[in-house]
Amino acid sequence: MNALRRLWRSAGFRLAAHYALLVGITMLAALAIIYLQTVGVLHQRMARQVSTTAQQLATLLEREGADAVVREIERTLADGRSTDQEMLLLVDAQGHRLAGNLDTLPAPGADGQRQVLRKGRSVRAWLVVRPVAQGHVLVVGSDLSDQQALEELIVSASAAAAFVAMLLLAGGVFVFRQELERSVGAVRRTAARIALGDLRHRVPLSEDDDEFALLEQDVNTMLDRIQSLMDGVRHVSDTIAHELRTPLTRILARLRAADDDDADAGQRRAAIRTAIAELEDLNRVFGKLLQIAEAEAGAQRGRFGAVALHTIADDVVELYGAVAEAQGATVLREPCEALQVRGDRELLAGVAANLLDNALKYGGPACTVRVGTEARDGWGLLTVQDDGPGVPEADRTRIGTRFVRLRPQVGGHGLGLAGVQAVVALHGGRVHYEDAQPGLRVRVELPAAGT
Amino acid sequence: MAPSIDSMQTHPSSAQPAAGATGTAMWRCLVVEDDADSARYIADGFRGLGHVAVICREGPEALARASAEAWDLIILDRMLPGGVDGLGILAALRAMGRRTPVLVLSALSALDERVRGLKAGGDDYLAKPFAFSELAARAEALVRRSRPGPEIRVVEVADLRLDLGSRKAERGGRPIALQPREFRLLAFLALHAGQVLTRTMLLEAVWDYQFDPQTNVIDVQVSRLRAKLDAGGGPSLIHTVRGVGYRLAAPASGDGPAQT
Repeated sequence: MNALRRLWRSAGFRLAAHYALLVGITMLAALAIIYLQTVGVLHQRMARQVSTTAQQLATLLEREGADAVVREIERTLADGRSTDQEMLLLVDAQGHRLAGNLDTLPAPGADGQRQVLRKGRSVRAWLVVRPVAQGHVLVVGSDLSDQQALEELIVSASAAAAFVAMLLLAGGVFVFRQELERSVGAVRRTAARIALGDLRHRVPLSEDDDEFALLEQDVNTMLDRIQSLMDGVRHVSDTIAHELRTPLTRILARLRAADDDDADAGQRRAAIRTAIAELEDLNRVFGKLLQIAEAEAGAQRGRFGAVALHTIADDVVELYGAVAEAQGATVLREPCEALQVRGDRELLAGVAANLLDNALKYGGPACTVRVGTEARDGWGLLTVQDDGPGVPEADRTRIGTRFVRLRPQVGGHGLGLAGVQAVVALHGGRVHYEDAQPGLRVRVELPAAGT
Repeated sequence: MAPSIDSMQTHPSSAQPAAGATGTAMWRCLVVEDDADSARYIADGFRGLGHVAVICREGPEALARASAEAWDLIILDRMLPGGVDGLGILAALRAMGRRTPVLVLSALSALDERVRGLKAGGDDYLAKPFAFSELAARAEALVRRSRPGPEIRVVEVADLRLDLGSRKAERGGRPIALQPREFRLLAFLALHAGQVLTRTMLLEAVWDYQFDPQTNVIDVQVSRLRAKLDAGGGPSLIHTVRGVGYRLAAPASGDGPAQT
């Protein structure tokens, strides 16, 4: 029982068993049809023939007497037409055999199959035994051995079908298992290697173009994606480790110096203040990284609603007004189209603030920054353009990578635009960096509300 | 919100004397927080400012005490032992009709969580880790807000006079030209005169945004306002509280607003 259950767990066995069952059913159905169409029809015809003959002979006896019947029987048995099958017998009231080819008179009974003696041989036959006029008994029958042979043939054909089905089952288990192992084995081996930690492995593609080949391709695509994500994670964690270790080392060095017995109260206080400032800065980096991760995870999408992007741009421009004024820069709000986008007000304000902050930082002291909102074919555009030195084309693709600072002297952690990109992606939008000649234009495309 | 690292070495009471030295009345504060270190840090901080702080570590006990006794403020951590969400306690408290101001603390920094905290009936929300100075400033604002005064039309601090109705400001009788947002900033500072207001509090109250303010936007806004205020001579009214924020007060005393 256990062995059977174990066998059933094999997909190859199940496939083969189903297949064998289907073959068996098909063959049995065919045989059943053949049986009904041959044996059944033959039997019916024969039974009708027998009873018709019996009727005719009975009528003949009544009308013309026993002699006519004897003559008719002898004529029939002598005509050479299917005499092997025909069985006839006429017995008089005293039990004397008057004519026919049966040795003995079968016991009276209903029409049906019986064993009779014909020319010394026992034969299976379909018999009709009729008492007729003047105490005579008439027996008409037909030999069933042909039908019996046919039935036996069909039975042995059924047995052969069952045998073939069993063979198919046994062979199928073997073949299907081989085939499955060949097709799935490669995937399994690759998966096993990857489980061991080697992400570079891929499923060797088979030359077939079947379902398994499609599966192999899908698995490989998935593995490519996982690997690129893992590489990304590794890059980020390497960078984070580096970015965080530097300030931590610095803080430790300062605190150790302050811990020195020679240090006076003022020096200690200064060291503590710097440590606090540095740690707060680090915490800001962590907060920023968490915000980016949160945006990338996409959980905030649930409470998105229609927000007025132009109002956000107005507010942010107003908020930065003092900063711009202080550095002698001009912030223009153009173009200024009213538009609604689907999203989160705070996150989008953060995006606008970040971009404007960057533009003022990199545009130079007396730069002019244009903050624009435009509605265009179902998209809301937010553009922030400065007229500063801009970013060389080669560097433009690196913008927005975590911890990349194109101009380290300006300060910052290199996380601002990474955050912008994450938030924009969360909103289903895109960020483009373009040459504004002169300066840099950042174009943020966001899906407009109601689309 | 700009979370900043707590520093255990810098004890709040000694590091930020400003928030406590404003002459406010002593108030009673219930600290619902299961982490012993955090709870002690918060409670000691408030005690250092001259307030009464009671620590409560369990959800059911917290609800019982919060509803049975009179408190000026409840500091509520979201994650409590036994999987109890602080917001559940808050909702129960509000259902009982208790209007005690509640400041929700949480390690969950997402904006989403903030919205949920405020929806559940919280009056303010602060993500961990936070600087005690930020917590103290927000607590102060909450306690003061919960003591409703008469309808304030005019606010006076030293020689500064703000008419909230006509939105006019003058100092020593000399009118000051302010943009609408500058007036809001000044009014907010004046209504909380003597209190320390952090940058994030100002961004929230005056600009109605909660995103992380970049670099020094608020500082520059405040300096511009300060320059306009001080243009006619006279001592500066807006004081910078190092590492925390700003406080509007008469030069010498640091008294609260004179309200008429």
